[in-house]
Amino acid sequence: MVENIEAEIMALMQRYNPEGKPIGRTTEIGADLNIDSVAAMDLIMEIEDKFDIDIPMNQVGELRTIGDLIDLAAGVLQKT
Amino acid sequence: MNEVTPTANVRLPFRAGDFATLAEGLDYAAKGETGVNFFSSRGSLETRLPYRELRSKALDLASRLASTSLEHGDRIGIIAETSPDFLAVFFACQYAGFVPVPLPLSINFGGKDAYVERLRGMLAAAGARAAIAGPDLVGILREAVIGTDVDLAATADELMARPASAAPLTPLGADDVCYIQYSSGSTSFPRGVLVTQAALAANARAIAVDGLALGSGDRCTSWLPLYHDMGLVGCCLTPVMTQISVDYLSTTAFARRPLVWLELISRFGGTISFGPTFGFELCARRAANGSARELDLSSWRVAGIGGEMIRPQALAAFADTFAASGFDARAFVPSYGMAEATLAVTFNPLGRGVRVDRVARGDTFERRHLALPAGETLPPAASRSFVVCGAPMPGYGIEIRNEAGRALPERHVGRICIKGPSLMQGYFQNAPATRAVLKGDGWLDSGDMGYMIGGELVVTGRTKDLIIVGGRNIWPQDIEWAVEKLDAVRAGDVAAFSVGDDQDRERLVVVVECRLQKPAEQATLRQLVAAVVNRTAGVECEVVLAAPRSLTFTTSGKLSRAAARDHFQRGILRDLETGTAAPALLETPLLAEAS
Repeated sequence: MVENIEAEIMALMQRYNPEGKPIGRTTEIGADLNIDSVAAMDLIMEIEDKFDIDIPMNQVGELRTIGDLIDLAAGVLQKT
Repeated sequence: MNEVTPTANVRLPFRAGDFATLAEGLDYAAKGETGVNFFSSRGSLETRLPYRELRSKALDLASRLASTSLEHGDRIGIIAETSPDFLAVFFACQYAGFVPVPLPLSINFGGKDAYVERLRGMLAAAGARAAIAGPDLVGILREAVIGTDVDLAATADELMARPASAAPLTPLGADDVCYIQYSSGSTSFPRGVLVTQAALAANARAIAVDGLALGSGDRCTSWLPLYHDMGLVGCCLTPVMTQISVDYLSTTAFARRPLVWLELISRFGGTISFGPTFGFELCARRAANGSARELDLSSWRVAGIGGEMIRPQALAAFADTFAASGFDARAFVPSYGMAEATLAVTFNPLGRGVRVDRVARGDTFERRHLALPAGETLPPAASRSFVVCGAPMPGYGIEIRNEAGRALPERHVGRICIKGPSLMQGYFQNAPATRAVLKGDGWLDSGDMGYMIGGELVVTGRTKDLIIVGGRNIWPQDIEWAVEKLDAVRAGDVAAFSVGDDQDRERLVVVVECRLQKPAEQATLRQLVAAVVNRTAGVECEVVLAAPRSLTFTTSGKLSRAAARDHFQRGILRDLETGTAAPALLETPLLAEAS
């Protein structure tokens, strides 16, 4: 299950990576991918819709890397 | 889940905010069936909280707060999530005699450290003794209180686990403070607007009676943040004082799915809903992307606009997009106000819609500060359109003054000064900042520029952001909006300001957040920006392409040009290409807001 999330989120992230940089769990979403707040909202919404979950916005401030995002989404999915 | 709270009370007579305190207002509303409802980001009802239940919850929490060592008038910081707990704790403070201090939320990727700093600055400035947050944020809050006077940081549930005081409560009275709002000022120099019960009562009553003609049958819908005056006073406290039901969508939910806002209005027959221009813009954009749904917006009689400069084209686009859903453009009600006046000062007459005043640009406007009507023959580029914001409510006054403090006649652009029964007492424990705006003659200098026509106010911008190049006044918004229209640029990506050179001449700097990676693309953007600025303002400028998120915003979401200027002059804000710091210029005015 968690592997699925990882693969799906990685696939999704490619669209937020127009320069085609190598990305992985340690890639910083804000600094490395230059995602602004509007794009960040779009990204969160896509993940929510894809997995039918609600990501608590309060925790977004603590997300730095793609790995953080995957872990958060996986955690939320397990609780539902 | 049960249905939402009803729009009208069955037997309880409607009272239009004639209460001396917030606690009295909630006591009365609790006798009816109306209340507040909280929705998820997908629009499903999560909590239904009739005012009766809000009151009993608040009283229960109040008795727990009263059992602590806090004393009457002590400040309690509350992270203002759009949640039942925020409202319950806010009103618990009212009943227990403590002053609530709503605190902002943060939503940026990796923005946690900056957020902790901001909370800490506000808690320290407010001298808060306790701080409350929801379960998700209490961890951050506990970090933020380190080094402050806060010795109780908890969730509402943790508070409920404490013993209740048996002593009778001493609510905040008619002569007491109502709340302190930190929405202006920078992180290092937060300024807390101190609003009294008398000011809140006066403004809520004026809004209810003179501004919006509220009555039984009205229903409010809101996604506005509760740490900002339009959300807190307009869409939370005024409804309590007028027994009106509210349907809440959190701000972050709105940002993700703006159309849920309109869905709620449609489903529950909302009649009153406010937003800044960009909120309407976001809806029109999403709907244009093909995600519009079956909506009935015909119940919406007051679509209030405030909070930032009102942009008429964006509103027209919204009205066009949703006309088929029954939205009536005459429902638009431009308004003017600010936290320092509690909230509202002017409202457009109801049912008129957006009225635009088109004035001639050029020397008369920019040098002589006269807003003369643009003739029909004048080409669009030679004119500038401003939205008329209505007349001051009864009991309020507006005077346009020049730099020497003298009142100016109509169509003269000057500083907007405000008088009325709901001015703040001052900035909390900040006499210099208070003296800078409260003139001692009963007038508040709003910091905004504008002029009057036919007794109605037209806002043209903010004084401290005004750019003056070669003796000409240039409004930074004009430049920013023009640059934002470029393909590679988004709203909120641009800041325009001026810096003085060694001969006291001002030069214009335009900072653009840039996502383009290729040097050639960057060079093209640089040229385009310079060309647009030249077209818009007719002046040369220095274009600074900066990394995304280089610009800072106040907690109320307004771009802080003062911070951008300061960062630029100190070399923190740099151009992507050169990477070099800007030369240190003459006497750097550190954040103007700190004065």
